Amino acid sequence: MKQYYILFLVFILLWSCGPDRYDPERNYQDKEKEILTQFIIAEDSSVIELSEGHFLFSRSLIMDGKNHITIRGKGIDKTVLSFKGQQEGAEGIRITNSNNITLEDLTVEDASGDNIKVMDTDGITFRRVKVAWTGPINEENGAYGFYPVICKNVLIEGCESMGASDAGLYVGQSEDVIIRNNKVYQNVAGIESENSERVEIYGNECWDNTGGILVFNLPGLTRYGQHIKVHGNMVHDNNRENFAVPGAIVGTIPPGSGIIVLATKNVDVLDNEIKDHKTVGVSVISYELMSAMEGGNEEEQPDPESGVRGIQADFRSDKNYDPFPGQISIYNNKFENDNWFPYLGSDFGKLFLFKLGPTIPDIALDGIKPDDYFLANGDVNPSYKVCIDEQQPISFVDLDAANDFENLSMDVSRFNCR
Amino acid sequence: MRRVGAFVVICAFLLACNTEKEKQQPVAAEKTAAPEEIETYGMGKAWLSEYGFFEGKLADLQPADNVVAYELNTPLFSDYAHKKRFIYFPEGAPANYQEREVLDFPVGTVLIKNFYYPNDFRDASAGKKILETRLLVHEEKGWQPLSYIWNEEQTDAYFEIIGATIPVQWTHDDGAIKQTNYIVPNLNQCKSCHVKDKTLMPIGPTARQLNRKNMYVSEEVNQLEFLAANGLLSGLPEAKERPAFPLWDNPNSGTLDERAIAYLDINCGPCHNPLGPAKTSGLNLTVFETDPFKLGFMKPPVAAGKASGNLLHDIVPGKPEASILLHRMNSTNPEVMMPELGRTLIHEEGVALIRKWIEQLNSSETVISP
Repeated sequence: MKQYYILFLVFILLWSCGPDRYDPERNYQDKEKEILTQFIIAEDSSVIELSEGHFLFSRSLIMDGKNHITIRGKGIDKTVLSFKGQQEGAEGIRITNSNNITLEDLTVEDASGDNIKVMDTDGITFRRVKVAWTGPINEENGAYGFYPVICKNVLIEGCESMGASDAGLYVGQSEDVIIRNNKVYQNVAGIESENSERVEIYGNECWDNTGGILVFNLPGLTRYGQHIKVHGNMVHDNNRENFAVPGAIVGTIPPGSGIIVLATKNVDVLDNEIKDHKTVGVSVISYELMSAMEGGNEEEQPDPESGVRGIQADFRSDKNYDPFPGQISIYNNKFENDNWFPYLGSDFGKLFLFKLGPTIPDIALDGIKPDDYFLANGDVNPSYKVCIDEQQPISFVDLDAANDFENLSMDVSRFNCR
Repeated sequence: MRRVGAFVVICAFLLACNTEKEKQQPVAAEKTAAPEEIETYGMGKAWLSEYGFFEGKLADLQPADNVVAYELNTPLFSDYAHKKRFIYFPEGAPANYQEREVLDFPVGTVLIKNFYYPNDFRDASAGKKILETRLLVHEEKGWQPLSYIWNEEQTDAYFEIIGATIPVQWTHDDGAIKQTNYIVPNLNQCKSCHVKDKTLMPIGPTARQLNRKNMYVSEEVNQLEFLAANGLLSGLPEAKERPAFPLWDNPNSGTLDERAIAYLDINCGPCHNPLGPAKTSGLNLTVFETDPFKLGFMKPPVAAGKASGNLLHDIVPGKPEASILLHRMNSTNPEVMMPELGRTLIHEEGVALIRKWIEQLNSSETVISP
């Protein structure tokens, strides 16, 4: 057993060391002043047309307090705004306090922090925009590709995102969001909806990320998320080594995670194709588990001074935050997996191998339950219900992680409640 | 006339480039020659001199009537630039006192901030170079930022919306030669720090920052009292009711705790407050925050990415090296450094202050006196 284990580790290490780079041909011109001036003086309801070419910027391109502006290039990889070696600002494009802004048909590359950040904006559309980091794909890359946060009416469609050391396509603390028909690959987190409400994620292809699609609720933020629908996506081969920096919350995601629902209420996961993940297809977990995982070893008492439990902060004191997922429906998805053994580079994989043998679960629940999980009459509290109704036979596990896997169960029929 | 002036400036610059001085200039800096045509886009006047804020030789910065000099107790660090600050008051309209926020200035007020470097920080008589004058103009529709870049001759400053990078060199307090590429922000960058609840606001002239003495006509007077006595400030409460910041670098003016908090308030607080551009971080670094967690004590970052430097908490009491706050103050990498804008150098003395403060924080008792 142990020998197999070592053999596998060696194999995985070798396998994950391949050269991973993105080196498009670039021929930079300097149009910084001209484009920057356009951004500053743009009148409301105007269109900023960007010509074809590769343009290098030394500082962030900032737009603040504008209404009804379209920023339009000549197409992905035709109009390239590059922030390679930028000297000031932690974003490429930064849009704040605006209404109805559209970015379309261009590429944004190599920002030192986030490629495109949008904040406090009502109406932001990204259409046919690519964001990327060139060179090796590693933790030196910036954090977020698309990064709308505290926004309303967000539409991201026909876009591409690659290389982000946090999330390629992220939306946070926002409401009324549509993320559709995008291609998201080679990021740590592919698509991430965090603390957002009324979000639809459909028609996207996510592959070669560490985790494909994440629906997260994290404590200590301005708002909490619910009503999220993840449907009709192609989520496959998200087995990339996690290259987030330690301390980042996505740094805890095990490679080989298809879809993760964390501590969020009212999430539907349906009609997706979920294929070839080496840890788990769909997982539904609580923030309690995240915080325990961050602690590394669940057996050991964390040392409050060493800072090892960085993730959890004091989430239990946040009265508005519920660390447990609930009202989750998972149905009509199509699962396939060519991997036989779970990935042993993560605690999850080892656990699965140990508990389930050579099986990778299509769906896993951490099984950590709140005190009021059961009502007085013995029924499951509807706010914490998880309903699973797949047409095909699936491999399933409810870990009961809070009780050292005592009541670990592979019987999915208990969750057939839709 | 202006064109001739600009031509001379350009010639002077080109000439200067051929001298040996060039070798001392940092690389990748832009020219500071005034453009021949100043495009103002209807935002402000083309030249600083047109406002009439100063009397006599412009570079002497002698305030005209209705223009009052002021200083802050603990100012923002801007690459060691010195600053001369003034307020232009419109006729007959005083500002209203505010206990917590920036004074409530009437429409028509202009805040004037001049950034300059003495050639030798130890010797004022060695002359200075003024690089930039920033205006915040209180118009009917709100505060508008404007930026003026000084010409080489130091005779005037021209309006510029896209900012600039100006090489500068000086002899520092310790006698060492320092140099940097000073960055004049573009107008949109101004908004990155000056926005509060989606509205552009001044940052510096709060009661607690202005509550200090300054030299007015050969007499040292408290600034707030000077304004009130001259009919420029209404509602000033009794002296004991007025809050005051310590001077961050003067241990006689306040405790280490007070000085560190004042430093964080002006350098970080404009963004890191519940209504500021960095509210998504959940970190509040203003003097008003009393919750140690929101001040960063054992607080994990929200979306710092690689900028966290593999550290897990903003402030680890007693452990400056484990604190992301210090790590980000101590960097010049654009992705890592804080503040994000307004500096290219590390503020060594500021870092030392915050390091000392974190060092002596007791991990078991993290109480902050506001």
